[in-house]
Amino acid sequence: MVYLKIKRQDESREWYNSFEIEETAGMTVLEALFYVQEHMDGSLCFRYACRGAVCGSCGMLINRVPRLACRTQVGIAKKENTREGSDDIFVAGQKSEEENEIILIEPLSNLKVIRDLVVDMDIFYNLVDSIKPWISSPEKHPEGGNLMSPDLREKIEKYTNCILCACCHGACPVAAKDDTYLSPATLAKAWRMHLDSREDDASRQERLDFVNSESGVWGCDLVYKCVAVCPKKVPPTMGIKALREQIEKNKEK
Amino acid sequence: MIEHDIIVIGGGLSGLRAALEAKKHGADVAVISKVPPIRSHSVAAQGGINASIGSDDSWDSHAYDTVKGSDYLADQDTVEILCKEAPERVYEMENWGTLFSRTEDGTIAQRPFGGAGFPRTCYAGDRTGHNLLHTLYEQVLRSGVRIYNEWMVTRLATDSNRCTGFVALNLLDSELETFRAKAVILATGGYGRIYQRSTNSIINTGFGISLAYRAGVPIQDMEFVQFHPTTLWGTNILITEGVRGEGGYLYNKDHERFMDKYAPESMELAPRDIVARSIQTEIDEGRGFPGGYVQLDITHLGKELINERLSGIRQICIDFAGVDPIKEPIPVQPGHHYSMGGISSSKDGLTPLDGLYAIGECACISVHGANRLGGNSLLDTIVFGKRAGEHAANAVKNIAMPSEYSLNESLAEERSNIDSMMGDSGESFADVKDELRQTMQKYVGVYRNREGLETGLASVKVLEKRGEDIHVKSRVRAFNMELMNVLEVKGMLDIARVITEGALVREESRGAHYRTDFLERDDEKWLKHTLAYLKDGEPKLEYKDVTITQFQPKRREY
Repeated sequence: MVYLKIKRQDESREWYNSFEIEETAGMTVLEALFYVQEHMDGSLCFRYACRGAVCGSCGMLINRVPRLACRTQVGIAKKENTREGSDDIFVAGQKSEEENEIILIEPLSNLKVIRDLVVDMDIFYNLVDSIKPWISSPEKHPEGGNLMSPDLREKIEKYTNCILCACCHGACPVAAKDDTYLSPATLAKAWRMHLDSREDDASRQERLDFVNSESGVWGCDLVYKCVAVCPKKVPPTMGIKALREQIEKNKEK
Repeated sequence: MIEHDIIVIGGGLSGLRAALEAKKHGADVAVISKVPPIRSHSVAAQGGINASIGSDDSWDSHAYDTVKGSDYLADQDTVEILCKEAPERVYEMENWGTLFSRTEDGTIAQRPFGGAGFPRTCYAGDRTGHNLLHTLYEQVLRSGVRIYNEWMVTRLATDSNRCTGFVALNLLDSELETFRAKAVILATGGYGRIYQRSTNSIINTGFGISLAYRAGVPIQDMEFVQFHPTTLWGTNILITEGVRGEGGYLYNKDHERFMDKYAPESMELAPRDIVARSIQTEIDEGRGFPGGYVQLDITHLGKELINERLSGIRQICIDFAGVDPIKEPIPVQPGHHYSMGGISSSKDGLTPLDGLYAIGECACISVHGANRLGGNSLLDTIVFGKRAGEHAANAVKNIAMPSEYSLNESLAEERSNIDSMMGDSGESFADVKDELRQTMQKYVGVYRNREGLETGLASVKVLEKRGEDIHVKSRVRAFNMELMNVLEVKGMLDIARVITEGALVREESRGAHYRTDFLERDDEKWLKHTLAYLKDGEPKLEYKDVTITQFQPKRREY
């Protein structure tokens, strides 16, 4: 048996509901939420798509840690301290002294809640889109495609692995106090675009100028919480530091 | 009423590619999707995308492999287009920023895939779908295409054999809205979730296919259902064919590399239908591991190669099975993966209903025939997505916006449909859905026969009846998941019925459709496509010829 304590919310109120469910072998928090939605309370809502940690839909707070529900095992989460009552956001589960069998599930932090576990992701998407996150290559490609060294590819890949789940945004203390802060995922993407040899110089410079601000790379507190919670091992802080270095280097010229 | 010249339903690869092309041709185009585009199932594609860009390779070699792989059911004129246009579409995606894996000299790397004569599968590690989808989405953002996120289309509107638009449910507040368009492009993906074991995303309910079917459009070759040989035991998350392409071995519990019994030449890289049947046979005959799986072993490939080319797979195995493939074999079993069938559509995505296009997995163009080769579905999305977008953009220049009448009528019908579904009693959608998925898995799976199919069909009919009595109990407005699910389960039932009937009638074994009571392919009777029409609430089956140009059907051996 395991108890899901789920934070509920609608236009007018906030409350918690507890659901007691039968845990099955290998059950994930997402599967547990589906069990509740399908068999116990049809009004519960949450986002989902792939259930395999590739689509980035199901980011939420599980025991106050931003995580993908599909990638979090019930068997592990139920043995953690729920940290109920804390206002802090943590980067990892903490094994509980006693078997509490309770999992605390809340909407992702630092985004407005629409209902239950569904948050307003447009806030996050608009931040990402603000850096013009696309390669501005010329319409015609070179014969046989552009060439790229495997080494450069490897450097970029660390950042293209981002699935825009916003777990980093939910963990970020700067995003918590400044809603103009571009967000770790956005800045990681800015570095990914910057590194790409196919990007044209003018767009690269324009983006670099755009993130050269307190809402951009200089807003980061370098606490690495985004790196710690990323389910795809993307290191936004490393990208932010690299962008800062690039900006400084350009100044010297 | 919202209006655009062209509206694409679905934001996966084929939908985005169509929208981008239409926009490039100057059309007023929008995308509407029940999930934000980057959450679409295309993101989960792993292994790669085929294009004959290798120096010794050629489009006709690719076409031959595709046609042979299809067990000669693919239409060879559309296969020719698929293979000829592949290199340009892949280079285009590369130019837009897709992070393809590279050879030492910087060109796009290619790996071997099942049923292919050359290593012609371009890839981005084992996250090819993710890289393609994010790149295409970035370019769509750049182009300024309007996107309606989190809207579920519930009914197509038609007026004298023309699609005039549709009715959609805004998931944010459960309000219905009408969308009027000169052209509608369906790009809604597959129906994997009608099977109990599927690699597909939970959102893959095939609802777009049922929308077209209910609007009177025929759906084609639905009995051809691809079962992927290697899905992770338990969760059935995909373990890419690329794992075998990179040199993975399959072992049964006696540590025999059993593929030498079934496909001595190609071994693990035989086409999917053959490998899936081989694994299922090993399991059924008691040579699988307890619980019903075999092992996919890559421990001999070494840590470096695995981390470089199969890091996503490694992570999936660790997260979802507690197995690190660097150290131990991966437990795998066959599972539903792909739909070769779909909405009957042409080389430019046109369906028999004017103004309605269908592309990607929801469509049957038919380039995959009875069995799709790995690496050809991503290709299908961007080749025919581009073509449909271009065709639609040109077509709408000479078409007037349809009258509002049919849309207002559809809105009224849909409103009363949804009103009639609300209620506190009746069946639960979850029970009907779970039983449907079990039925399809058990009776319409890798191996089929008359007795099983008849039992399955009877069950589906019972479930259809029960489906009429499903009610939505929750009255919440924002993100009413129960309402969405109830609508979708009804569509799932339509599709299951057509698949099962088509499989029962087709008395032969061809590609992924394998009848233990009719073991041979029967070209004389069955070298033809199935078309299913909805007539008086029942599927009516018709047949049409296969287009054969340069490859005459012969026995398929690997």
